Amino acid sequence: MMHRRPPIPLFIVMLGAFVVATILGVTIGTVDIPSRAVLELLAARLPLLHLDLPYPDKFATILFEIRLPRVGLMAITGATLAAAGTTYQGLFRNPLADPYLVGIASGAGLGATLVLSSRVYETSIGLQAVPLGAFVGGILTVAIVIISARVGSSTPITTVLLSGVAIGSFASAFTTFWMLRSPDGLWRAFNWMLGGYAGGGWTPIMIVLPYLIVGYVILQLNARSLNVLQLGEEQAQQLGIRIERTKFTLIAAATLMTAAAVSFGGLIGFVGLIVPHVIRILAGPDYRTLVPLSVLGGATFLMFCDLAARTLLAPQEIPVGVITALAGTPFFIFLLRRLKRSVF
Amino acid sequence: MKHSSPAPKLLIIAAALFVFSTCTSIDTSSSQPNIILTDALDRDVTLEDPARRIISLAASNTEIIFAVGAGKYLVGRDEYSDYPPAALSITSIGSLYPKVNAEAVVALEPDLVLAAAITNPKDVTALSDLGLTVFTTGLAVTLDDIYTDIIAIGILTGQETNAKTLVNDMQERIRAVTDATSHVDKHPRIFYEIDASDPTKPWTPGPGSLIDTIIGLVGGSNIGAARTDPYWQISLEQLIHEDPEVVLLGSSTFGGQTPDLVAQRPGWDSLLAVKRGTVYVFDDNLISRPGPRVAEGLELLAHLIHPDKFK
Repeated sequence: MMHRRPPIPLFIVMLGAFVVATILGVTIGTVDIPSRAVLELLAARLPLLHLDLPYPDKFATILFEIRLPRVGLMAITGATLAAAGTTYQGLFRNPLADPYLVGIASGAGLGATLVLSSRVYETSIGLQAVPLGAFVGGILTVAIVIISARVGSSTPITTVLLSGVAIGSFASAFTTFWMLRSPDGLWRAFNWMLGGYAGGGWTPIMIVLPYLIVGYVILQLNARSLNVLQLGEEQAQQLGIRIERTKFTLIAAATLMTAAAVSFGGLIGFVGLIVPHVIRILAGPDYRTLVPLSVLGGATFLMFCDLAARTLLAPQEIPVGVITALAGTPFFIFLLRRLKRSVF
Repeated sequence: MKHSSPAPKLLIIAAALFVFSTCTSIDTSSSQPNIILTDALDRDVTLEDPARRIISLAASNTEIIFAVGAGKYLVGRDEYSDYPPAALSITSIGSLYPKVNAEAVVALEPDLVLAAAITNPKDVTALSDLGLTVFTTGLAVTLDDIYTDIIAIGILTGQETNAKTLVNDMQERIRAVTDATSHVDKHPRIFYEIDASDPTKPWTPGPGSLIDTIIGLVGGSNIGAARTDPYWQISLEQLIHEDPEVVLLGSSTFGGQTPDLVAQRPGWDSLLAVKRGTVYVFDDNLISRPGPRVAEGLELLAHLIHPDKFK
């Protein structure tokens, strides 16, 4: 079922959906800003154009300091999670794999909880310390999983999965213990897990974007190896793939990407699990197209979910993780039922 | 509400179901020596004598117990009961979450356990089933609700006269403020921040919360009143649109927020309150705990909202 040619029409359709999601994300919000005003305010930011616009200052504040960075962060987070999910599914040859498979979620949750319940949180650097805690917690946990999964000079996938489950449970249990030990941080930690603490502004984007770009390039360069890996590790080895090195590179890239994404976005579920599957159903199993389309699809999906999260009960906000699960699952089941063929 | 949850918000919602049954009936017939009171859970609570070994499961009730002069009868408290300072020297039975430590309660041999709206009703049942006398105060949304609690606790502890004096004092202090604020022609837009863990959607009190009631009493217009939920997360877009004239940082109490930190948050520098310097640290415990210090909280709030009315 390898596609010889990349599915150009699908790529165009998805690019269109991405553009639509961006436009809707920027024009629709809790506060009604006419789309004409949005366009003119954006145009006014272009160099050489000096427009004198009759709009209240708060429109510009809402647009440039709240809405645009938010839409941007959602796009980056969705893209990163979907790309990492695709990688893990391919690497582990397991349809249930998602970016959180090898303990990153529980590790990041533990890191964030430790910061949220500590005195650090009540200082001026508190909010910046939460993403850092999550990032470090996630990376450390994955490192421990990989190290403890080593058998001799190789790292068998089965032992990685097993130690991932074991160490993940340990970290989750410790998080629960810690939350109960210091109840002040309990509901903050709970909140973080549902939707992260982006804090607004452009800083999170500046921090996460490099991880997406570098990670994406690494994944794209290894996409062919992922294709060959689908034949099984032994076969791939015979075909000239340096298994251990490829595995290490891919796990490291996917882990760093996921850790960066969850550090600001929180543990948003389903994006990294379902988007790769949907793309696989639509585009076939070639990782050279799966990776870029997952990036595009993940970004689009999370932007739409975030749009729902801030408009359904406006001016009340819903954690975006709730929407991804509510919207993603039925759509996925629908696709699965319609195309009753093996996608893996 | 069949599932118990550690989230305090759910407990508050659960307790809200009882809000209409909080009227405490007081048995006044002299032939009956027992104290019989109906509590917020609609349970008849009987005491043969005023309580002398009390455990308080809520910070608000602990403050009331001390304020009516029954602090010496308090033998146990929950972890959050931290005021007055004398409360800290009383044995703590730990946190209420995920559930009350029944062994610790029983070990202190209380003759009365005072629960509150924030107590999980399951804990009340569990403690009652152990043969303990449990009285639950209601969800306080209005000042009258607080007065009802104070009088009830006064009766249960044999300090009814003190309780009535306390209520009268509070009413007088509050009337002095509301007399000045009831005729203001301007109602400044107030944003009260409970928690800003995520400054793009901070938690704020809405209708059905004591804080909303108090903001209304001192002549402020609560931005959180836009929704019907007692506590909700307002989107920053909406907040900038509403543009509060005064921002009160209840989030300073547990989240360490300050006006400087608020000014540094992305987008917040455009708020009128930030430009004018009318972002204030506010001790959340003064008005989120339905207890005797509400009068003080209300006075402070009035001074911040209408500085011209008070010199």
